[in-house]
Amino acid sequence: MASVITEQEKLIGKGIKRKEDPRLITGTATYVDDMQLPGMHHACIVRSPYAAANIKSIDIKAALETPGVVAVYTGAAVKDVGPVPCGASLPGLRVPHHHILAQDRVYFVGHPVAVVVATDRYIARDGADLVEVDYDVLPAVADPEKALADGAPAVHPQWPDNVAFNFHQENGEVEKVFAEAEVVVKQRITSQRLIPSSMETRAVLAEYRSGEKALTIYSSSQIPHLLRTLVAGMLGVPEHKLRVVVPEVGGGFGSKLNVYAEEALMGWIAMKTGKPVKWIESRRENFLTTIHGRGHVDYYEIAAKKDGTITGIRLKLIQDLGAYHQLLTPAIPTLSVLMMPGLYRCQTICADIVGVFTNCVPTDAYRGAGRPEATHGIERMVDMLAAELKMDAAELRLKNFIQPGEFPFASATGLTYDSGDYAKPLKKALDIVNYMGLREQQRKARAEGRWMGIGMSTYGEICAFGPSPATPAGGWESASVRIEPSGKITVHTGVSPHGQGEETTFSQIVADELGVDFNDVVVLHGDTAIVQYGIGTFGSRGTAVGGTALYFALQELKAKIKRFGAMLLDTDSVVYEEGRCACRKTGNSVSLAEIAGASYRAMKLPPGTEPGMMATYFWEPPNFTFPFGAHIVVTEVDKETGVVTIQRYVAVDDCGKILNPLIVAGQVHGGVAQGIGQSLYEHGIYDDNGQLLTGEFMDYAIPKITMMPWIESEHTETPSPVNPLGVKGVGEAGTIGCSPAVVNSVVDALSPLGVRHLDMPLSPEKIWKVLQGGQA
Amino acid sequence: MKVTGSHLVPLDRARVYSMLQDPEVLAACMPGCEKLEKSGEDSYTMKMKMALAAISGQFDGKVSITDQNPPGSFRLLVEGTSKIGFMKGGGLLTLTTEGDATCVAYEGDVQVGGTLAAVGQRLIDATSKMMIKRFFEKLIAVQP
Repeated sequence: MASVITEQEKLIGKGIKRKEDPRLITGTATYVDDMQLPGMHHACIVRSPYAAANIKSIDIKAALETPGVVAVYTGAAVKDVGPVPCGASLPGLRVPHHHILAQDRVYFVGHPVAVVVATDRYIARDGADLVEVDYDVLPAVADPEKALADGAPAVHPQWPDNVAFNFHQENGEVEKVFAEAEVVVKQRITSQRLIPSSMETRAVLAEYRSGEKALTIYSSSQIPHLLRTLVAGMLGVPEHKLRVVVPEVGGGFGSKLNVYAEEALMGWIAMKTGKPVKWIESRRENFLTTIHGRGHVDYYEIAAKKDGTITGIRLKLIQDLGAYHQLLTPAIPTLSVLMMPGLYRCQTICADIVGVFTNCVPTDAYRGAGRPEATHGIERMVDMLAAELKMDAAELRLKNFIQPGEFPFASATGLTYDSGDYAKPLKKALDIVNYMGLREQQRKARAEGRWMGIGMSTYGEICAFGPSPATPAGGWESASVRIEPSGKITVHTGVSPHGQGEETTFSQIVADELGVDFNDVVVLHGDTAIVQYGIGTFGSRGTAVGGTALYFALQELKAKIKRFGAMLLDTDSVVYEEGRCACRKTGNSVSLAEIAGASYRAMKLPPGTEPGMMATYFWEPPNFTFPFGAHIVVTEVDKETGVVTIQRYVAVDDCGKILNPLIVAGQVHGGVAQGIGQSLYEHGIYDDNGQLLTGEFMDYAIPKITMMPWIESEHTETPSPVNPLGVKGVGEAGTIGCSPAVVNSVVDALSPLGVRHLDMPLSPEKIWKVLQGGQA
Repeated sequence: MKVTGSHLVPLDRARVYSMLQDPEVLAACMPGCEKLEKSGEDSYTMKMKMALAAISGQFDGKVSITDQNPPGSFRLLVEGTSKIGFMKGGGLLTLTTEGDATCVAYEGDVQVGGTLAAVGQRLIDATSKMMIKRFFEKLIAVQP
């Protein structure tokens, strides 16, 4: 990759190595747990071992008597702290009051009941073991369909039906289309609960300076500014007296797009005790108490003509919400509904969501957030329709795609797809795998008694969240660019990169726009005291929305640079190229450093121009972006053991313009890894009593490197008209495209046995049972 | 989780039955049992240490015996809580004569929660079988 960068060379589109990586791979980055403050205490949280129980009493005496234990707090102490916020609003949504510590009842295993503060982490843990909680155990329900049944235990006694909300959306003449359909295919499809499993668990450090009445919360978060606004509200701290700092974050995948009880709790303890307090989530706590993803039971129906034209899609979506709403819990399944037509022209849809309370940890955004579930559903249904019609799966897709001339395209669910050529990545992927040849190979394999499968998915995404009216807390993003007196450049971005590599891509944008050295740019983020308000990093928005804000800030700055340049060169008209302002007439020029220096010394100012060299831009996106792509997976199923081997994985993703192919490849690889995790291995399982049975990596199988196939990653580039960079976003593409392609491939492999559908994960045990003639 | 099985004890049925009702015998035979005290008619409080994979803990619990039908059968209920979660097990023990010996058959349910369930569930079956096996081995060894 480019190791020597000359100023003239355009950096956008090049595979520049990430600026972030040296500190990450040498262990010199600073995470919350690396931070030590004088007099710092440590907190350990006492959590419920029961999924549903009344708290009869809590005895903290023995814990308090432990040498080194400073304080123990229970629900009563923090009952006036505001509830853990739910940012989503839906008509008729039932929102249980979510205290930061349980009051008189616990609702899921892991529910925080008390907190022990001590002089070191081990003493805090010992103290927590000495807190005696007397529970009166109640019946629990952990399965959303069981929770809807008559007589099921009520998660929240005030709502005996366990229904948090119903949501309905439809377009077109649904009843008529289904009544007149030549073919209707129906299937129940699940997207199982997943546990996000970021490498760094959650981590919070809070410090209160009583003299200044100022609270600082360091947290491993994706949304520093929203966290500040919401925690300030919970604690009753004026927002300008709360600073949130997000240092290095070891992964989030949506699980840190949230405001958690512990963030407010540590702030409250710091204020109460006057000492800094740190809480580092253990891995077991992470399994139990950080949000889970997915949790769908979907009932699909697809109507079509005999020629394969899809005429209608109907969906009943049962969303397992868990016991509470975290920040976006109820909104996630609505994204599935928005995405339900996929890339197909079909204008008749009907969706009903029922959001169900269960005695489990809440579900919320996890990589893809609602869109992997929707894509899995529609792409499985299209394959089943193809099987029913005895049509080729690729042919059926090509027949139903929205065509390139139809953009902007008004989808059945009310979205406006920005741009696309959906056949292009599919055809490219089919070419790469030599599809016809592969089918021939499959015939031979079957003749030899081997179960080989070919599966595809063609996915669409909603990315670059998003227009503010369509998001709970604003969907714009901010950037400020400051050229220092020496000509070095400091960027403040409102997004909060935690693995997406924007310190690199944003430096590329600045380097190209201002014609400066890539290494002369620093990108700062994640500290509310130094960065202007921003929304954060999620929903594949960092570069598409944050990068665009930066682009516009740079345009404003360039105009100012030119005004100073013209003044210094004593001319009316200058061009700005390669880091210099030049007068075409005289041939004289002046460097950016000279211009910057002059702007701060301000001996003379251009008319109507302020001193200094800084611009800030808040960009409101007019629309989402809609990336798309095609993944093809070749599998073979071991007849003896049921083990699925992925023999080829081809991903052709169109994420709009690619700023850095190395970073895009990393996003695709990571996304596919998590998609394969869901397809083959991962399943967060609760037993009937609400006990999490997959509470560690021995039981919850995330793919290891040896379980990953080689990923052949290719692209087509259809620029987005939504932003001047033409980028669409790629953070979630791999996850969204992956699972239906893998499952379609395995179902295809086993289709000679009459297999029509399999629910994830496709564990060897499940496949083995199918091979033995049983039911999956 | 269901637990079923049987063990042969080389003693007559009435003897085995009375041993299984004797707190001192039970305390001596239950693996990890540190204390078993009578707390009422046919009920006892118990302290017991238990280890499962990488986790271990001290359980405080209750043992109660119901539905006595000497010398043929009785029902046993064990409940315990600890820092690593809770356990609850109950079942029917049936004693039948087999020659000079007695066959003790058991059929019951074990429920666990908390860390015990989250990190230990895949070992519970094997661990409970091992604990029951040890119990009967000791029972044979301690016979007065």
